Amino acid sequence: MIQAHNINKWFGSLHVLKDVSLTVNPGEVVVIIGPSGSGKSTFLRCLNYLEPINDGYIVVDGRQVGKKKTAGGRLVDDSRKNIYRLRSTIGMVFQQFNLFPHQTALENVMEGPVTVCKTAVSEARKKAELMLEKVGLADKADAYPIQLSGGQKQRVAIARALAMQPKAMLFDEPTSALDPELVGGVLAVIKDLAREGMTMVVVSHEMGFAREVADRVIFMDNGSIVEESSPQQIFTSPQHPRTREFLSKILG
Amino acid sequence: MQLGPIDVEFLLQILPLLLKGAILTVELTLLAIFFGTIIGLFVALAKISRFKVLAITGGIYTWMIRGIPLLVQLYILYFGLPQVGIELSAHTAAVAGLSICGGAYIAEIIRAGIQSIDKGQMEAALSLGMSYAQAFRRVILPQAYRRLLPPMGNEFITLMKDSSLVSIITMTELLRQGKLLSNSTFRSMEIFLTVAAIYLFLTTIFICLIGRLEKRLAISDGD
Ligand SMILES: Nc1ncnc2c1ncn2[C@@H]1O[C@H](COP(=O)(O)OP(=O)(O)O)[C@@H](O)[C@H]1O
Ligand SMILES: [Mg+2]
Repeated sequence: MIQAHNINKWFGSLHVLKDVSLTVNPGEVVVIIGPSGSGKSTFLRCLNYLEPINDGYIVVDGRQVGKKKTAGGRLVDDSRKNIYRLRSTIGMVFQQFNLFPHQTALENVMEGPVTVCKTAVSEARKKAELMLEKVGLADKADAYPIQLSGGQKQRVAIARALAMQPKAMLFDEPTSALDPELVGGVLAVIKDLAREGMTMVVVSHEMGFAREVADRVIFMDNGSIVEESSPQQIFTSPQHPRTREFLSKILG
Repeated sequence: MQLGPIDVEFLLQILPLLLKGAILTVELTLLAIFFGTIIGLFVALAKISRFKVLAITGGIYTWMIRGIPLLVQLYILYFGLPQVGIELSAHTAAVAGLSICGGAYIAEIIRAGIQSIDKGQMEAALSLGMSYAQAFRRVILPQAYRRLLPPMGNEFITLMKDSSLVSIITMTELLRQGKLLSNSTFRSMEIFLTVAAIYLFLTTIFICLIGRLEKRLAISDGD
């Protein structure tokens, strides 16, 4: 579903991703952990071309991200249209929710289908209502983001991404900005998605969650993937000293 | 009848002429707001564009227009252009001058408003598969719009006051009407106090209208 091959990315002279390679098979859930500034967000943002990469390549659903082959077989920059299409097939959920504050919960969820897919408003509304129901917020359809708790905002954000019927979902620390008592509700929604077979890459330090749903856990540090293994393996007997050090810090 | 230094009968005599001037002042202001906002929107978008040429052109525009007195710009438009074969009527030159000048200030206001919107909003919109244009129209501008109103209101009021400058290119708006009357009657005090009162009345109405619009938008935003 998603293949990243030796990705390198610089911000000016700052080398933020160093030969990062990762394959995510359909239906798999990969959890990424790692210290702040290690490049986790940047990596996710490269996967849907919110950030262009400097070296290496990414294939999503059989198509190389940001590039296309000419008739002569040369690789050239892809058209913007194709990039928009790629993004519409990958849902993204952000740490800070990024709901549209001028729209109600329902309008937020309808926005993608109506603006991007040109779905008829009445049909988009029906679909959006179903999505809100799925995340347990059918009764908040007419609320504005400011009237919602952090957990509710994040669940609306998930519904907004799901409304595009994505083939994969990217979560960037979806519960880091939440009060502890609201984390469970959001994780429950993500677990449901995992159970339904959604392909997901989740940056998260919720160990219980990772143990339960992750097929693989990846430890990133300083722009590189340091260790990659099953959740049991990495949490009980991490191989790399840096992984051990990091886990001992966050597990206390 | 006397009211302090003011002769009320005389005042009633000149009022119709001054109001005629005031109507032209309002007309010029509304036209300048309309064209100035259109210019401002395009220049603002150019300035934040990823295309260097557009960004630089927009930058030069706001730099030059904001750095040259409006009066000088009006002289160039009305007295200068005919020399190169472009003759503008006083009305056209006035509207053009005010719009071009207002546009530069409005562009800065819109640019600041757009850039004050959290970057996450653009990212969220793009991640849904929107184009830049769609993201601007559906997500960024509707939010910027509300933050823009107070500074835009100020700019509109400035435009109304600055419209008095076009009196020097023979536009008989409120100030010039007053000047003509004072030339023929020599009663400058009554006349210019009345002119001042009319300007104050007009700007007050503007402030009230914009205040209302702000309230309405705040309600529709749910907070
Ligand atoms: N747009 C940017 N411009 C310059 N540097 C950036 C930008 N985004 C992130 N960085 C830098 O890249 C590094 C990795 O950041 P990030 O991917 O956000 O890490 P993480 O999500 O793991 O905390 C950090 O040093 C950060 O300061
Ligand atoms: Mg991050």
